[in-house]
Amino acid sequence: MGKSRGKPCFRARLAICLCGVLLAPAAASATEEPDQPQAATAVDLNDGATPTEGNGHSRSFSDKLMDRVMNSRLHGFVSQGFLLSSGNNYLAMSKSGSFEFSEVGLNVTVPLSDRLRLGMQLFSQDLGPLGNYSAKFDWYYLDYKWKDWFGIRVGRIKVPLGLYNDTQDVDAARNAALLPQSVYPAQNRDYLLAQTGAELYGFIDLKQGGALDYRAYAGTIFLDLTNVPGNALLIRNLVVPYVLGGRLMWETPLTGLRVGVSAEALELDAVVLSRTSTQTAGSTDTVLHDSKPATVAVDALLTVGSLEYIYGDFNFAAEYSRWFIDERTSDQHVVPIPAALAHSVSERAYVMSSYRVTPWFQPGAYYSMLYNNVEHREGRENQQHDYAATLRFDLTDWWLLKLEGHYIYGTGALNSAMNYDQKLSTLTPNWGLLVLKTTGYF
Amino acid sequence: MVRNPRGKDVFRLLHIVVIPLLLGALMTLPAAVTQAQSPSFVIITNPARPISSLDRKLLADVFLKKITRWSDDSSISPVDLGPKSDTRARFSEEILERSVAAVRNYWRQSVFSGRDVPPPEFDSESDIVAYVSRNPGAIGYVSAATNVNGTRVVQIR
Repeated sequence: MGKSRGKPCFRARLAICLCGVLLAPAAASATEEPDQPQAATAVDLNDGATPTEGNGHSRSFSDKLMDRVMNSRLHGFVSQGFLLSSGNNYLAMSKSGSFEFSEVGLNVTVPLSDRLRLGMQLFSQDLGPLGNYSAKFDWYYLDYKWKDWFGIRVGRIKVPLGLYNDTQDVDAARNAALLPQSVYPAQNRDYLLAQTGAELYGFIDLKQGGALDYRAYAGTIFLDLTNVPGNALLIRNLVVPYVLGGRLMWETPLTGLRVGVSAEALELDAVVLSRTSTQTAGSTDTVLHDSKPATVAVDALLTVGSLEYIYGDFNFAAEYSRWFIDERTSDQHVVPIPAALAHSVSERAYVMSSYRVTPWFQPGAYYSMLYNNVEHREGRENQQHDYAATLRFDLTDWWLLKLEGHYIYGTGALNSAMNYDQKLSTLTPNWGLLVLKTTGYF
Repeated sequence: MVRNPRGKDVFRLLHIVVIPLLLGALMTLPAAVTQAQSPSFVIITNPARPISSLDRKLLADVFLKKITRWSDDSSISPVDLGPKSDTRARFSEEILERSVAAVRNYWRQSVFSGRDVPPPEFDSESDIVAYVSRNPGAIGYVSAATNVNGTRVVQIR
Protein backbone atom coordinates (compact mmCIF):
# COMPACT_ATOMS: atom_id res chain seq x y z
CA MET A 1 0.00 0.00 0.00
CA GLY A 2 1.31 3.45 -0.82
CA LYS A 3 2.41 5.29 2.25
CA SER A 4 0.97 8.65 1.27
CA ARG A 5 -2.56 7.33 0.82
CA GLY A 6 -2.69 6.02 4.36
CA LYS A 7 -1.52 9.11 6.17
CA PRO A 8 -4.63 11.37 6.37
CA CYS A 9 -6.77 8.51 7.62
CA PHE A 10 -4.09 7.52 10.08
CA ARG A 11 -3.81 11.06 11.41
CA ALA A 12 -7.55 11.27 11.91
CA ARG A 13 -7.59 7.97 13.79
CA LEU A 14 -4.69 9.13 15.92
CA ALA A 15 -6.42 12.41 16.77
CA ILE A 16 -9.57 10.58 17.80
CA CYS A 17 -7.54 8.11 19.78
CA LEU A 18 -5.59 10.81 21.63
CA CYS A 19 -8.75 12.77 22.44
CA GLY A 20 -10.38 9.64 23.74
CA VAL A 21 -7.38 8.76 25.84
CA LEU A 22 -7.13 12.23 27.33
CA LEU A 23 -10.81 12.62 28.10
CA ALA A 24 -11.65 9.12 29.31
CA PRO A 25 -9.74 9.20 32.61
CA ALA A 26 -11.17 12.57 33.53
CA ALA A 27 -14.68 11.32 32.88
CA ALA A 28 -14.01 8.14 34.80
CA SER A 29 -12.73 10.02 37.82
CA ALA A 30 -16.10 11.71 38.23
CA THR A 31 -17.62 8.44 39.40
CA GLU A 32 -14.77 7.25 41.60
CA GLU A 33 -14.78 7.36 45.36
CA PRO A 34 -11.77 8.94 47.04
CA ASP A 35 -8.97 6.51 47.81
CA GLN A 36 -9.19 5.11 51.31
CA PRO A 37 -5.87 4.73 53.09
CA GLN A 38 -4.96 1.18 54.04
CA ALA A 39 -3.35 -0.12 57.18
CA ALA A 40 0.35 0.55 57.55
CA THR A 41 2.74 -2.23 56.60
CA ALA A 42 6.12 -3.16 57.99
CA VAL A 43 7.98 -0.91 55.57
CA ASP A 44 9.51 1.87 57.62
CA LEU A 45 8.26 4.81 55.65
CA ASN A 46 6.33 6.34 58.52
CA ASP A 47 6.28 6.25 62.27
CA GLY A 48 3.71 3.51 62.48
CA ALA A 49 0.42 5.35 62.77
CA THR A 50 -2.29 5.01 60.16
CA PRO A 51 -2.70 8.17 58.12
CA THR A 52 -6.05 9.84 57.73
CA GLU A 53 -7.33 12.22 55.09
CA GLY A 54 -5.55 15.54 54.88
CA ASN A 55 -6.77 18.15 57.37
CA GLY A 56 -9.69 15.89 58.22
CA HIS A 57 -11.42 16.65 54.92
CA SER A 58 -12.25 14.31 52.01
CA ARG A 59 -10.50 15.23 48.81
CA SER A 60 -12.78 17.01 46.42
CA PHE A 61 -13.61 15.94 42.90
CA SER A 62 -11.65 18.91 41.59
CA ASP A 63 -8.54 17.72 43.46
CA LYS A 64 -8.91 14.23 42.02
CA LEU A 65 -9.45 15.65 38.56
CA MET A 66 -6.45 17.91 38.98
CA ASP A 67 -4.34 14.88 39.92
CA ARG A 68 -5.28 13.13 36.71
CA VAL A 69 -4.71 16.18 34.56
CA MET A 70 -1.39 16.92 36.21
CA ASN A 71 -0.27 13.36 35.75
CA SER A 72 -1.36 13.08 32.10
CA ARG A 73 1.52 14.16 29.99
CA LEU A 74 1.97 15.07 26.38
CA HIS A 75 5.58 15.29 25.25
CA GLY A 76 7.24 15.60 21.90
CA PHE A 77 10.41 16.37 20.03
CA VAL A 78 11.65 17.33 16.60
CA SER A 79 15.28 16.76 15.61
CA GLN A 80 17.11 17.68 12.45
CA GLY A 81 20.67 16.70 11.86
CA PHE A 82 23.34 17.05 9.23
CA LEU A 83 26.02 14.47 8.45
CA LEU A 84 29.23 15.23 6.59
CA SER A 85 31.98 12.66 6.24
CA SER A 86 35.29 12.25 4.51
CA GLY A 87 36.29 9.02 2.85
CA ASN A 88 33.15 6.93 3.22
CA ASN A 89 29.40 7.25 3.34
CA TYR A 90 28.10 6.49 6.80
CA LEU A 91 24.46 6.11 7.84
CA ALA A 92 23.45 8.28 4.87
CA MET A 93 25.11 9.58 1.71
CA SER A 94 27.22 11.69 4.01
CA LYS A 95 30.27 12.33 1.81
CA SER A 96 28.38 15.02 -0.01
CA GLY A 97 26.60 16.14 3.18
CA SER A 98 23.21 14.79 4.10
CA PHE A 99 20.18 16.14 5.92
CA GLU A 100 18.68 12.65 5.98
CA PHE A 101 18.93 12.62 9.75
CA SER A 102 15.54 13.57 11.20
CA GLU A 103 13.44 12.38 14.11
CA VAL A 104 9.96 13.38 15.22
CA GLY A 105 8.14 11.96 18.20
CA LEU A 106 4.94 12.66 20.11
CA ASN A 107 3.93 10.73 23.18
CA VAL A 108 1.18 10.73 25.74
CA THR A 109 1.02 9.03 29.12
CA VAL A 110 -2.22 8.79 31.07
CA PRO A 111 -2.83 7.32 34.53
CA LEU A 112 -6.04 5.28 34.31
CA SER A 113 -6.03 4.47 37.99
CA ASP A 114 -3.71 4.49 40.96
CA ARG A 115 -1.79 1.54 39.55
CA LEU A 116 -2.69 1.38 35.87
CA ARG A 117 -1.20 3.63 33.22
CA LEU A 118 -1.20 3.69 29.46
CA GLY A 119 1.21 5.35 27.11
CA MET A 120 2.00 5.57 23.45
CA GLN A 121 4.50 7.28 21.21
CA LEU A 122 4.14 8.11 17.57
CA PHE A 123 7.54 8.28 15.92
CA SER A 124 8.91 9.03 12.51
CA GLN A 125 12.49 9.17 11.38
CA ASP A 126 14.71 9.42 8.38
CA LEU A 127 18.28 8.21 8.56
CA GLY A 128 19.71 7.57 5.13
CA PRO A 129 17.81 4.58 3.75
CA LEU A 130 15.98 3.96 7.04
CA GLY A 131 12.63 5.29 8.12
CA ASN A 132 11.75 7.53 5.20
CA TYR A 133 9.43 9.57 7.41
CA SER A 134 6.85 6.80 7.77
CA ALA A 135 5.11 7.36 11.10
CA LYS A 136 4.47 4.42 13.36
CA PHE A 137 3.80 3.65 16.97
CA ASP A 138 7.25 3.43 18.47
CA TRP A 139 5.88 2.11 21.73
CA TYR A 140 2.54 1.67 23.41
CA TYR A 141 1.67 -0.16 26.55
CA LEU A 142 -0.60 -0.78 29.48
CA ASP A 143 1.43 -0.63 32.66
CA TYR A 144 0.15 -2.14 35.90
CA LYS A 145 2.43 -1.34 38.82
CA TRP A 146 1.27 -3.48 41.70
CA LYS A 147 4.15 -2.69 44.01
CA ASP A 148 7.41 -0.87 43.54
CA TRP A 149 9.10 -4.25 43.33
CA PHE A 150 6.67 -5.73 40.81
CA GLY A 151 4.89 -4.37 37.80
CA ILE A 152 3.90 -5.62 34.38
CA ARG A 153 3.70 -3.90 31.01
CA VAL A 154 2.04 -5.31 27.93
CA GLY A 155 2.16 -3.86 24.44
CA ARG A 156 5.06 -2.70 22.33
CA ILE A 157 7.80 -1.95 24.82
CA LYS A 158 11.27 -0.51 24.47
CA VAL A 159 13.98 -3.13 24.93
CA PRO A 160 16.23 -2.46 27.94
CA LEU A 161 19.52 -3.58 26.41
CA GLY A 162 22.41 -1.76 28.03
CA LEU A 163 22.07 1.68 29.53
CA TYR A 164 20.64 3.64 26.63
CA ASN A 165 19.00 1.35 24.09
CA ASP A 166 15.51 2.38 25.14
CA THR A 167 16.32 6.09 24.82
CA GLN A 168 18.52 6.03 21.74
CA ASP A 169 15.92 7.91 19.67
CA VAL A 170 15.77 10.80 22.08
CA ASP A 171 18.42 13.32 21.27
CA ALA A 172 17.52 15.56 24.21
CA ALA A 173 18.09 12.73 26.70
CA ARG A 174 21.79 12.29 26.00
CA ASN A 175 24.88 14.31 25.36
CA ALA A 176 26.21 12.68 22.18
CA ALA A 177 24.49 13.36 18.87
CA LEU A 178 25.30 9.79 17.86
CA LEU A 179 25.46 7.24 20.63
CA PRO A 180 28.47 4.89 20.41
CA GLN A 181 27.51 2.95 17.32
CA SER A 182 29.30 -0.23 18.34
CA VAL A 183 26.79 -0.93 21.12
CA TYR A 184 23.84 1.09 19.76
CA PRO A 185 23.97 0.73 15.96
CA ALA A 186 21.39 2.96 14.35
CA GLN A 187 21.14 0.59 11.37
CA ASN A 188 19.78 -2.15 13.63
CA ARG A 189 17.13 0.03 15.21
CA ASP A 190 14.21 -2.06 13.95
CA TYR A 191 15.69 -5.20 15.44
CA LEU A 192 16.79 -3.79 18.75
CA LEU A 193 14.56 -0.96 19.86
CA ALA A 194 11.26 -2.49 20.92
CA GLN A 195 9.45 -5.78 21.21
CA THR A 196 5.76 -6.60 21.26
CA GLY A 197 4.83 -8.72 24.25
CA ALA A 198 5.07 -8.38 27.98
CA GLU A 199 7.60 -7.15 30.48
CA LEU A 200 7.97 -7.63 34.22
CA TYR A 201 9.82 -4.94 36.10
CA GLY A 202 10.53 -3.75 39.58
CA PHE A 203 12.72 -1.80 41.95
CA ILE A 204 13.94 -3.60 45.07
CA ASP A 205 15.33 -1.45 47.84
CA LEU A 206 18.27 -3.22 49.49
CA LYS A 207 18.59 -0.52 52.16
CA GLN A 208 22.32 -0.16 52.90
CA GLY A 209 23.12 -2.40 49.95
CA GLY A 210 21.65 0.01 47.40
CA ALA A 211 18.86 -1.22 45.14
CA LEU A 212 18.13 -3.61 42.31
CA ASP A 213 16.30 -2.52 39.21
CA TYR A 214 15.16 -5.43 37.06
CA ARG A 215 13.30 -5.86 33.79
CA ALA A 216 12.48 -9.15 32.07
CA TYR A 217 10.54 -9.47 28.85
CA ALA A 218 9.33 -11.87 26.19
CA GLY A 219 7.53 -11.34 22.92
CA THR A 220 8.22 -10.86 19.25
CA ILE A 221 9.34 -8.17 16.85
CA PHE A 222 7.32 -7.16 13.82
CA LEU A 223 9.69 -6.10 11.10
CA ASP A 224 8.98 -3.91 8.14
CA LEU A 225 10.51 -5.46 5.02
CA THR A 226 10.91 -2.06 3.42
CA ASN A 227 13.38 -1.20 6.15
CA VAL A 228 16.07 -3.64 5.07
CA PRO A 229 18.52 -1.49 3.13
CA GLY A 230 21.21 -2.45 0.70
CA ASN A 231 20.34 -6.13 0.55
CA ALA A 232 21.19 -7.91 -2.68
CA LEU A 233 18.74 -10.65 -1.78
CA LEU A 234 14.97 -10.40 -1.90
CA ILE A 235 13.40 -11.13 1.45
CA ARG A 236 9.90 -12.48 0.98
CA ASN A 237 9.05 -13.17 4.58
CA LEU A 238 10.69 -12.15 7.80
CA VAL A 239 9.51 -13.21 11.23
CA VAL A 240 10.87 -13.21 14.73
CA PRO A 241 9.37 -16.27 16.45
CA TYR A 242 10.57 -15.08 19.81
CA VAL A 243 12.60 -12.47 21.59
CA LEU A 244 13.30 -12.64 25.28
CA GLY A 245 15.72 -11.03 27.63
CA GLY A 246 16.22 -8.87 30.62
CA ARG A 247 18.33 -6.35 32.41
CA LEU A 248 19.47 -6.30 36.01
CA MET A 249 20.99 -3.09 37.33
CA TRP A 250 22.47 -2.72 40.79
CA GLU A 251 22.30 0.79 42.13
CA THR A 252 25.24 0.67 44.46
CA PRO A 253 25.36 2.35 47.87
CA LEU A 254 27.54 5.01 46.23
CA THR A 255 24.94 7.45 44.96
CA GLY A 256 24.94 7.74 41.19
CA LEU A 257 26.94 4.57 40.54
CA ARG A 258 25.07 1.70 38.93
CA VAL A 259 26.35 -1.44 37.30
CA GLY A 260 24.47 -4.17 35.55
CA VAL A 261 24.10 -6.78 32.88
CA SER A 262 21.57 -7.27 30.14
CA ALA A 263 20.94 -9.93 27.56
CA GLU A 264 18.59 -10.52 24.68
CA ALA A 265 18.00 -13.72 22.74
CA LEU A 266 16.05 -13.79 19.52
CA GLU A 267 15.50 -15.88 16.44
CA LEU A 268 15.05 -14.41 13.00
CA ASP A 269 13.54 -16.56 10.23
CA ALA A 270 13.49 -15.36 6.65
CA VAL A 271 12.40 -16.68 3.31
CA VAL A 272 14.88 -15.36 0.77
CA LEU A 273 15.47 -15.59 -2.93
CA SER A 274 18.14 -14.14 -5.11
CA ARG A 275 17.28 -12.11 -8.20
CA THR A 276 19.55 -11.74 -11.18
CA SER A 277 18.97 -9.57 -14.21
CA THR A 278 20.02 -10.12 -17.80
CA GLN A 279 19.60 -8.04 -20.90
CA THR A 280 18.19 -9.70 -23.99
CA ALA A 281 20.32 -9.45 -27.09
CA GLY A 282 19.50 -6.46 -29.28
CA SER A 283 17.16 -4.98 -26.74
CA THR A 284 17.35 -2.67 -23.74
CA ASP A 285 14.78 -4.76 -21.90
CA THR A 286 15.96 -6.33 -18.67
CA VAL A 287 14.76 -9.78 -17.72
CA LEU A 288 14.68 -10.68 -14.04
CA HIS A 289 15.33 -14.21 -12.87
CA ASP A 290 14.33 -15.26 -9.39
CA SER A 291 15.90 -18.25 -7.71
CA LYS A 292 13.83 -20.73 -5.76
CA PRO A 293 13.27 -19.53 -2.20
CA ALA A 294 15.53 -20.58 0.63
CA THR A 295 15.03 -20.27 4.33
CA VAL A 296 17.55 -18.56 6.52
CA ALA A 297 17.51 -18.74 10.30
CA VAL A 298 19.54 -16.53 12.57
CA ASP A 299 19.91 -17.15 16.29
CA ALA A 300 21.29 -14.20 18.17
CA LEU A 301 22.31 -13.71 21.75
CA LEU A 302 23.27 -10.16 22.67
CA THR A 303 24.94 -9.48 25.99
CA VAL A 304 26.00 -6.20 27.57
CA GLY A 305 27.80 -5.32 30.77
CA SER A 306 27.22 -1.74 31.91
CA LEU A 307 28.58 0.82 34.33
CA GLU A 308 27.34 4.37 34.80
CA TYR A 309 28.32 7.02 37.30
CA ILE A 310 26.51 10.32 37.63
CA TYR A 311 27.53 12.85 40.22
CA GLY A 312 26.43 16.45 40.07
CA ASP A 313 27.06 17.47 36.49
CA PHE A 314 29.57 14.74 35.77
CA ASN A 315 28.53 11.69 33.80
CA PHE A 316 30.58 8.61 32.97
CA ALA A 317 29.47 5.44 31.24
CA ALA A 318 31.25 2.34 29.99
CA GLU A 319 29.81 -0.76 28.39
CA TYR A 320 31.19 -3.99 27.03
CA SER A 321 29.14 -6.19 24.76
CA ARG A 322 29.36 -9.43 22.83
CA TRP A 323 26.89 -10.58 20.22
CA PHE A 324 26.76 -14.32 19.48
CA ILE A 325 25.27 -15.00 16.06
CA ASP A 326 24.47 -18.38 14.46
CA GLU A 327 23.27 -18.46 10.87
CA ARG A 328 21.77 -21.38 8.93
CA THR A 329 20.59 -21.63 5.36
CA SER A 330 18.55 -24.27 3.57
CA ASP A 331 20.30 -23.63 0.26
CA GLN A 332 23.90 -22.51 0.01
CA HIS A 333 23.39 -21.61 -3.66
CA VAL A 334 20.73 -19.01 -2.87
CA VAL A 335 22.10 -17.71 0.42
CA PRO A 336 25.70 -18.80 0.83
CA ILE A 337 26.85 -18.77 4.42
CA PRO A 338 30.53 -19.67 4.67
CA ALA A 339 31.43 -21.98 7.52
CA ALA A 340 33.51 -19.20 9.08
CA LEU A 341 30.41 -17.01 9.34
CA ALA A 342 27.98 -19.70 10.45
CA HIS A 343 28.96 -18.88 13.99
CA SER A 344 30.43 -15.51 14.84
CA VAL A 345 31.03 -13.48 17.94
CA SER A 346 31.33 -9.72 17.68
CA GLU A 347 32.89 -7.53 20.34
CA ARG A 348 31.70 -4.04 21.14
CA ALA A 349 32.64 -1.54 23.82
CA TYR A 350 32.86 2.13 24.62
CA VAL A 351 33.77 4.61 27.33
CA MET A 352 31.95 7.94 27.38
CA SER A 353 32.04 10.96 29.61
CA SER A 354 30.56 14.42 29.77
CA TYR A 355 30.48 17.35 32.13
CA ARG A 356 27.92 20.11 32.24
CA VAL A 357 30.09 23.18 32.69
CA THR A 358 27.17 25.56 32.78
CA PRO A 359 23.42 24.97 32.47
CA TRP A 360 23.76 25.71 28.74
CA PHE A 361 27.04 24.04 27.85
CA GLN A 362 28.03 20.38 28.13
CA PRO A 363 31.09 19.01 26.37
CA GLY A 364 31.64 15.28 26.16
CA ALA A 365 33.72 12.63 24.46
CA TYR A 366 33.75 8.92 23.86
CA TYR A 367 35.76 6.11 22.37
CA SER A 368 33.84 3.27 20.79
CA MET A 369 35.24 0.09 19.28
CA LEU A 370 33.81 -2.76 17.26
CA TYR A 371 35.22 -6.09 16.10
CA ASN A 372 32.78 -7.90 13.87
CA ASN A 373 34.31 -11.26 14.60
CA VAL A 374 36.64 -11.85 17.50
CA GLU A 375 38.30 -14.66 15.54
CA HIS A 376 39.28 -12.23 12.74
CA ARG A 377 40.42 -8.96 14.23
CA GLU A 378 42.87 -7.95 11.51
CA GLY A 379 41.94 -5.81 8.54
CA ARG A 380 40.02 -2.55 8.30
CA GLU A 381 36.83 -4.38 7.33
CA ASN A 382 36.72 -6.33 10.59
CA GLN A 383 36.94 -3.43 13.00
CA GLN A 384 35.91 0.15 13.62
CA HIS A 385 37.29 2.57 16.20
CA ASP A 386 35.46 5.82 16.75
CA TYR A 387 36.90 8.78 18.70
CA ALA A 388 34.17 11.37 19.18
CA ALA A 389 33.94 14.77 20.85
CA THR A 390 30.63 16.54 21.42
CA LEU A 391 29.66 20.08 22.29
CA ARG A 392 26.09 20.36 23.50
CA PHE A 393 24.48 23.79 23.82
CA ASP A 394 21.15 24.03 25.61
CA LEU A 395 20.01 27.29 24.06
CA THR A 396 16.76 27.31 26.04
CA ASP A 397 14.83 24.86 28.23
CA TRP A 398 13.31 23.39 25.08
CA TRP A 399 15.90 23.83 22.35
CA LEU A 400 19.40 22.44 22.00
CA LEU A 401 22.20 22.33 19.48
CA LYS A 402 24.97 19.75 19.16
CA LEU A 403 28.24 19.82 17.30
CA GLU A 404 30.12 16.56 17.14
CA GLY A 405 33.33 15.46 15.45
CA HIS A 406 34.37 11.85 14.88
CA TYR A 407 37.69 10.44 13.86
CA ILE A 408 37.21 6.85 12.75
CA TYR A 409 39.55 4.04 11.88
CA GLY A 410 38.15 0.97 10.15
CA THR A 411 35.18 0.18 7.95
CA GLY A 412 33.60 -2.69 9.89
CA ALA A 413 30.28 -0.92 10.48
CA LEU A 414 29.92 0.54 7.00
CA ASN A 415 27.40 -0.55 4.42
CA SER A 416 28.76 -1.62 1.03
CA ALA A 417 25.53 -0.69 -0.71
CA MET A 418 25.88 2.90 0.43
CA ASN A 419 29.46 2.97 -0.79
CA TYR A 420 28.86 2.03 -4.40
CA ASP A 421 29.03 -1.71 -3.66
CA GLN A 422 32.72 -1.55 -2.88
CA LYS A 423 34.08 -4.19 -0.56
CA LEU A 424 34.61 -2.98 2.98
CA SER A 425 38.26 -3.96 2.70
CA THR A 426 38.73 -1.41 -0.09
CA LEU A 427 37.03 1.55 1.59
CA THR A 428 39.01 4.41 3.14
CA PRO A 429 40.41 3.14 6.48
CA ASN A 430 40.89 6.53 8.18
CA TRP A 431 38.01 8.91 7.88
CA GLY A 432 36.11 11.63 9.69
CA LEU A 433 32.51 12.50 10.40
CA LEU A 434 30.96 15.80 11.40
CA VAL A 435 27.51 15.79 12.96
CA LEU A 436 25.36 18.85 13.52
CA LYS A 437 22.03 18.38 15.20
CA THR A 438 19.36 20.58 16.67
CA THR A 439 16.40 19.42 18.70
CA GLY A 440 13.29 21.10 20.02
CA TYR A 441 11.30 19.28 22.68
CA PHE A 442 8.61 19.74 25.27
CA MET B 1 46.09 1.41 15.67
CA VAL B 2 45.41 4.80 14.17
CA ARG B 3 48.38 6.10 12.27
CA ASN B 4 46.99 8.39 9.65
CA PRO B 5 48.32 11.97 10.01
CA ARG B 6 44.92 13.29 8.91
CA GLY B 7 43.68 12.13 12.28
CA LYS B 8 46.01 14.57 13.99
CA ASP B 9 44.54 17.38 11.95
CA VAL B 10 41.07 16.45 13.10
CA PHE B 11 42.13 16.46 16.73
CA ARG B 12 43.95 19.79 16.25
CA LEU B 13 40.77 21.27 14.83
CA LEU B 14 38.75 19.90 17.74
CA HIS B 15 41.19 21.47 20.19
CA ILE B 16 40.84 24.82 18.46
CA VAL B 17 37.09 24.64 18.93
CA VAL B 18 36.89 22.96 22.32
CA ILE B 19 39.45 24.89 24.35
CA PRO B 20 38.05 28.42 23.79
CA LEU B 21 34.56 27.13 24.53
CA LEU B 22 35.72 25.42 27.72
CA LEU B 23 37.51 28.59 28.86
CA GLY B 24 34.43 30.66 28.11
CA ALA B 25 32.26 28.27 30.02
CA LEU B 26 34.63 28.21 33.01
CA MET B 27 34.39 32.00 33.20
CA THR B 28 30.69 31.63 33.91
CA LEU B 29 31.30 29.26 36.85
CA PRO B 30 31.40 31.95 39.57
CA ALA B 31 27.87 32.96 38.62
CA ALA B 32 26.75 29.36 38.94
CA VAL B 33 28.44 29.02 42.35
CA THR B 34 26.76 32.19 43.59
CA GLN B 35 23.44 30.87 42.37
CA ALA B 36 23.84 27.70 44.43
CA GLN B 37 24.17 29.66 47.69
CA SER B 38 20.42 29.96 48.11
CA PRO B 39 18.40 29.62 51.34
CA SER B 40 17.98 26.14 52.76
CA PHE B 41 14.84 24.05 52.29
CA VAL B 42 12.44 21.93 54.28
CA ILE B 43 10.61 18.76 53.31
CA ILE B 44 6.86 18.89 53.79
CA THR B 45 4.12 16.29 53.67
CA ASN B 46 0.42 16.36 54.26
CA PRO B 47 -0.26 16.58 58.03
CA ALA B 48 -2.21 13.33 57.81
CA ARG B 49 1.04 11.54 57.00
CA PRO B 50 2.51 10.55 60.38
CA ILE B 51 6.14 10.94 59.46
CA SER B 52 8.70 12.80 61.47
CA SER B 53 11.82 11.98 59.47
CA LEU B 54 12.95 10.38 56.22
CA ASP B 55 16.25 8.95 55.08
CA ARG B 56 18.01 11.01 52.41
CA LYS B 57 18.43 8.08 50.07
CA LEU B 58 14.78 7.16 50.45
CA LEU B 59 13.83 10.75 49.77
CA ALA B 60 15.90 10.68 46.58
CA ASP B 61 14.17 7.49 45.45
CA VAL B 62 10.77 9.06 46.14
CA PHE B 63 11.51 12.16 44.07
CA LEU B 64 12.94 10.04 41.25
CA LYS B 65 9.76 7.91 41.55
CA LYS B 66 11.65 4.70 42.17
CA ILE B 67 9.66 4.33 45.36
CA THR B 68 6.05 5.27 44.74
CA ARG B 69 4.08 3.96 47.72
CA TRP B 70 3.81 4.89 51.35
CA SER B 71 3.95 2.14 53.92
CA ASP B 72 0.13 1.94 53.89
CA ASP B 73 0.33 1.17 50.12
CA SER B 74 -1.20 4.50 49.11
CA SER B 75 0.59 6.31 46.34
CA ILE B 76 3.20 8.95 46.96
CA SER B 77 2.77 12.16 44.99
CA PRO B 78 6.04 14.10 44.91
CA VAL B 79 5.92 17.64 43.57
CA ASP B 80 8.82 19.71 42.30
CA LEU B 81 9.57 23.38 42.02
CA GLY B 82 10.30 24.78 38.57
CA PRO B 83 13.74 24.24 37.06
CA LYS B 84 14.90 27.82 37.66
CA SER B 85 14.16 27.72 41.37
CA ASP B 86 17.16 28.17 43.70
CA THR B 87 15.43 25.98 46.25
CA ARG B 88 15.16 23.20 43.72
CA ALA B 89 18.83 23.56 42.82
CA ARG B 90 19.74 23.19 46.49
CA PHE B 91 17.38 20.25 46.99
CA SER B 92 18.67 18.56 43.87
CA GLU B 93 22.31 18.86 44.86
CA GLU B 94 21.84 17.86 48.50
CA ILE B 95 19.20 15.16 48.23
CA LEU B 96 19.45 13.79 44.69
CA GLU B 97 23.18 14.52 44.46
CA ARG B 98 22.92 15.62 40.88
CA SER B 99 22.18 18.92 39.20
CA VAL B 100 18.72 20.02 38.14
CA ALA B 101 19.85 19.62 34.53
CA ALA B 102 20.92 16.04 35.22
CA VAL B 103 17.61 15.31 36.90
CA ARG B 104 15.69 16.77 33.98
CA ASN B 105 17.76 14.57 31.69
CA TYR B 106 16.83 11.56 33.84
CA TRP B 107 13.16 12.44 33.32
CA ARG B 108 13.56 12.95 29.58
CA GLN B 109 14.99 9.42 29.35
CA SER B 110 12.10 8.15 31.39
CA VAL B 111 9.40 10.03 29.48
CA PHE B 112 10.56 9.19 25.99
CA SER B 113 11.18 5.53 26.74
CA GLY B 114 7.71 5.25 28.25
CA ARG B 115 8.83 4.34 31.75
CA ASP B 116 7.33 7.17 33.78
CA VAL B 117 6.64 10.88 33.88
CA PRO B 118 8.25 13.46 36.19
CA PRO B 119 6.50 14.91 39.22
CA PRO B 120 4.38 17.96 38.46
CA GLU B 121 6.22 21.24 38.79
CA PHE B 122 5.01 24.41 40.50
CA ASP B 123 6.58 27.81 40.01
CA SER B 124 5.43 29.12 43.36
CA GLU B 125 6.38 27.68 46.74
CA SER B 126 3.01 28.66 48.15
CA ASP B 127 1.42 26.50 45.46
CA ILE B 128 3.55 23.59 46.66
CA VAL B 129 2.34 24.17 50.22
CA ALA B 130 -1.28 24.40 49.06
CA TYR B 131 -1.02 21.21 46.99
CA VAL B 132 0.67 19.23 49.77
CA SER B 133 -1.87 20.41 52.35
CA ARG B 134 -4.73 19.21 50.15
CA ASN B 135 -3.35 15.83 49.04
CA PRO B 136 -2.70 13.10 51.62
CA GLY B 137 -0.05 11.37 49.49
CA ALA B 138 1.85 14.50 48.57
CA ILE B 139 5.40 15.36 49.48
CA GLY B 140 7.32 18.46 48.46
CA TYR B 141 10.03 20.86 49.49
CA VAL B 142 10.09 24.61 49.94
CA SER B 143 12.59 27.14 51.21
CA ALA B 144 12.94 27.34 54.99
CA ALA B 145 11.51 30.85 54.94
CA THR B 146 8.20 29.76 53.41
CA ASN B 147 5.05 29.63 55.51
CA VAL B 148 4.28 25.91 55.69
CA ASN B 149 1.04 26.09 57.69
CA GLY B 150 -1.24 23.21 56.83
CA THR B 151 1.62 20.79 56.18
CA ARG B 152 3.98 18.67 58.23
CA VAL B 153 7.70 19.39 58.19
CA VAL B 154 9.80 16.23 57.92
CA GLN B 155 13.36 15.98 59.12
CA ILE B 156 16.04 14.49 56.88
CA ARG B 157 18.02 11.64 58.43
